[in-house]
Amino acid sequence: MPANIELQRLDGGLSRRRPALPARLLSRVTPRASERGLKQSAFDNRPLAYLLLAPQLTALLFFFFIPAFRGLIQAFQLTDPFGGSTQWVGLDNLAALMHSAPYWASVRATLVFTIALSVTTLGIALIFAFAAHHVLRGQSVYKTFLLIPYAIAPAISGIVWAFLFNPAIGPVANLIHSAGISWDPNRYPGHAMTLVVLASAWKQISYNFLFLIAGLLAVPKSVLEAAAVDGAGPVRRFVSIALPMLTPTLFFLVVVNFVYGFFETFAVVDATTKGGPAGATTTLVYKVYLDGFVSLDLGASAAQSIILMALALMLTIVQFRFVEQRVKYSV
Amino acid sequence: MKACLVAGMALLGTLPARAQTTIEFWHAMSGALEERVNELADKFNKSQSEFVLHPVGKGSYDEVVNGMIAAYRAKQHPAIVQVNERGFLTMLSSGATIPAAELVAKAGYKIDWSNFIAPVATYYSKDGTMMAMPFNSSSPILFYNADHFKAAGYDKPAATWPELEAQLYAINKKGISKCAMVFPGDWEWSFLENYSAIEDIPYATKRNGFDGLGAEYVFNKTKLVGHMERVKKFLDDGILELAGQGINPAQLFIGGQCSTIIQSTAGHAAVEAGAKFNWSATFLPTEKDSPAKNSTIGGAALWTLKGHKDEVYKGVAAFYNFLGNVSTQVWWHQATGYVPVTQAAYDAAKSQGYYKDHPTREIAILQLSRGTPSDNSRGFRLGNSAQANIAIKEEIQAGLLGQKPIQKAMDDAVSRGNDVLRQFEKVNAGKY
Repeated sequence: MPANIELQRLDGGLSRRRPALPARLLSRVTPRASERGLKQSAFDNRPLAYLLLAPQLTALLFFFFIPAFRGLIQAFQLTDPFGGSTQWVGLDNLAALMHSAPYWASVRATLVFTIALSVTTLGIALIFAFAAHHVLRGQSVYKTFLLIPYAIAPAISGIVWAFLFNPAIGPVANLIHSAGISWDPNRYPGHAMTLVVLASAWKQISYNFLFLIAGLLAVPKSVLEAAAVDGAGPVRRFVSIALPMLTPTLFFLVVVNFVYGFFETFAVVDATTKGGPAGATTTLVYKVYLDGFVSLDLGASAAQSIILMALALMLTIVQFRFVEQRVKYSV
Repeated sequence: MKACLVAGMALLGTLPARAQTTIEFWHAMSGALEERVNELADKFNKSQSEFVLHPVGKGSYDEVVNGMIAAYRAKQHPAIVQVNERGFLTMLSSGATIPAAELVAKAGYKIDWSNFIAPVATYYSKDGTMMAMPFNSSSPILFYNADHFKAAGYDKPAATWPELEAQLYAINKKGISKCAMVFPGDWEWSFLENYSAIEDIPYATKRNGFDGLGAEYVFNKTKLVGHMERVKKFLDDGILELAGQGINPAQLFIGGQCSTIIQSTAGHAAVEAGAKFNWSATFLPTEKDSPAKNSTIGGAALWTLKGHKDEVYKGVAAFYNFLGNVSTQVWWHQATGYVPVTQAAYDAAKSQGYYKDHPTREIAILQLSRGTPSDNSRGFRLGNSAQANIAIKEEIQAGLLGQKPIQKAMDDAVSRGNDVLRQFEKVNAGKY
C-alpha cells in the first residue's frame, strides 16, 4: 500500500522536477546529432553514460517504477488489505469510479480549486513582482519576506490558517465576523474552498514571485527606458512591455500551478478541512488518501492513482511540447 | 544510514540483561493516555521477569491499522495491536489473528470470560469465544457546564431531548452562552449508533450485522431521521456549534465557551484537569417515552497477530492475564476514565467508595448495563465500518448543512454505506 502514496508523491514531484535533466541532455545532444546524422549518439563512451545515470535510475526504479507497476496491477484487483485474498476484477474499479458521484464531485472540486488557485497565485505574485521591481530601498528585505512562506512546511501553514480562520477561536475569523459576514468554513463549502485556496496560494505565491522577478530583470532596460522617454508611466510600461515579454514565464507558471493544484495539496487540505464539509474540499489526491489509507479500499485508491498518473504524464508532455519550446532567452 | 542501523541494532541487542522475550505492542493512545499505557507496561514488566512489554504509540486508530497492515505484509508486525471497536470484522476476517481466549487457554491461564460486562463481551466475541482482549472501553455521556445551567435557572440537563432542547434554547436566548452544545467529532458514534441503540431502532438489518455479512443499513427509515432534523435545526438556530479543524470540540467545552458536549466517558481526564468551572455529567438524553435501552461501547481491543514465536505468545497471554486482573482493571478505570470491563472490577471500585467521590465516572457503566440488550442495542458488526462511516458522515453532513433535504441525505448515506458493505461481502465471501 505505501506504493500508492509513494507513487502519488513521486509523480507529483516528477512532473515538476523531471524536465530539467532531459531538457539539458537534449539541448546538448541535439545540435551535435544534427551535425553527425540523427541516429548517432552524442556519447562516445556508452558504459560511462549508463554508469552516470545508474544512481538516478536506481532511485527511479525503486521509488517510481516498481510502485507504479504495483499500483497499476492493484487497480484491477479487489484485495483484502492484509493481502490474504485477491480477486481479479478487470475494469470494475475504474468503472465504479466513473459511476461514483463522490468521485465526480471530487473532480469538480479539484478543477475549481486548481483554477482559483492559479488565478489567485499568479495575480498576487504579479502585483508583488511589479511592486518589488519598483521598490528602491530595501528591495532584498522585501524579496526575502516574500520568499519565506515557501520554506514553511505545508502541514504547519495549514494548521496556522485553520486556526486563524476558525470561527470559534480564530482572530481573523473574528475580524470577518465583526464585518457582519457569517464566516464558517466548517459549515459552508464555499468558505472552506476559499480557505484551502488561500492557504495553498500563500505558499505558492513565493514560487511564482521568484520566477516573475527573475523574468522582469531579464527585460532589457533599453526598451523600458525608450518607453519612459516616450512618456509611458510605470504601469503602462509593465503592461505593454514587461508583461508580453514575460509570457513564456507566465505560461510555465500556469502549468506549474496546475501541477501543484492537482498533486501537491494533500498536506494543506488535511490540516485545514480534512476534505470537508461534506466532501466539498476533497481533492483527487486527498481522495486517494481517504480511500486507500483510511478506508483501506486499495483497488479504488489504485485506480484513482492510475488516472492521476496519466494526468501527470499529460501535463508533463504539455510542459515539454509547448512550454520548453517557447521559452526564448534572447529578445 | 546503514552504520546508524547497525549501531542501533547493536544497542538494542545489549539492552535485555537476561534472556527476556520482548513483546511489541502498537497502540493509538496519545497525550495523557499514552503515559497511562506506559505505566501499565511498567507495571506488567515489574510484575515478572520473563517478558518485556514494549509499547509503541503509532498515531491515531486509523494510522495504527495502516501501519500494522503494511508491517504485516512485510512480516515486521508486532505481536499485539490495539484496534478500535469498529475494526472488529476487518480484523476477524483478516486471517491474521489468534483468538484471545484460545491463546490464554493454551498458555494455561484462566480468565473468567463470563465476568466481562455484556456490551463488551458481545462486541468482541464470536460464537461465545473472546476474539480480542478488551482494552479501553467507553460509552458516550453528556457533560455539562453546571454554571451555565444554573444561570439559566435549571438544576441540570433534562433527561429527554424535547426538554433538553428547551433548556439549550433558553441558555442561548438569555445570552449565557453562544454555544449551547458543541458537535463532537465522532458524532456517528453518539448521535447515530448510540441513539439507535438507546431508542431500540434498527441501524442495519440482520440484527445490525450479527447475523452475517449480508446486512444492509436501514437507518433512513427510522426515527433517526427526525433526530437528524433536530440536529439540523440546532445548527441553523446557532444552538449547536461545529468546532472544525485545528480544534478539538472538547476544548470548547473545557474552555467554558460551550455549555454541553456529548462525548466519551474517557473525556473525564481532560475535563477534570482543564475545566475551571462547575461541571458535571449525566446520561445521554432519550426521546419521550423511550425504551431507554443500553448504550453501546466504543474504544478498542487488543488483537494478537500471527507469525511470532511461541515464547512471545506466552508473554502475550501473561499480559492479557495481568490486564484482566481486578487490581489492574480498577487502576486503569480510575487513571483513564474508561469503564472497567469486568463485573468484578466494577464491584471492587464500588466497594472502595470510588463512585461516591466520582459519581460521573459511574454513568457510562450504568448506561451500558441498563436493561436487557435487544437486537438493536447489542452492538454493531458491520464490515469496513471506517470506510462506510466516511461516506455516511459526508452525506448526512450535506443534509445538516442544508445542501439537500435530510431524508434525501439519509437515503444517500444508506445507499453509499450499503455499497461498502457489499464490497466487504464480496472480498470476504465465505469467510464468516
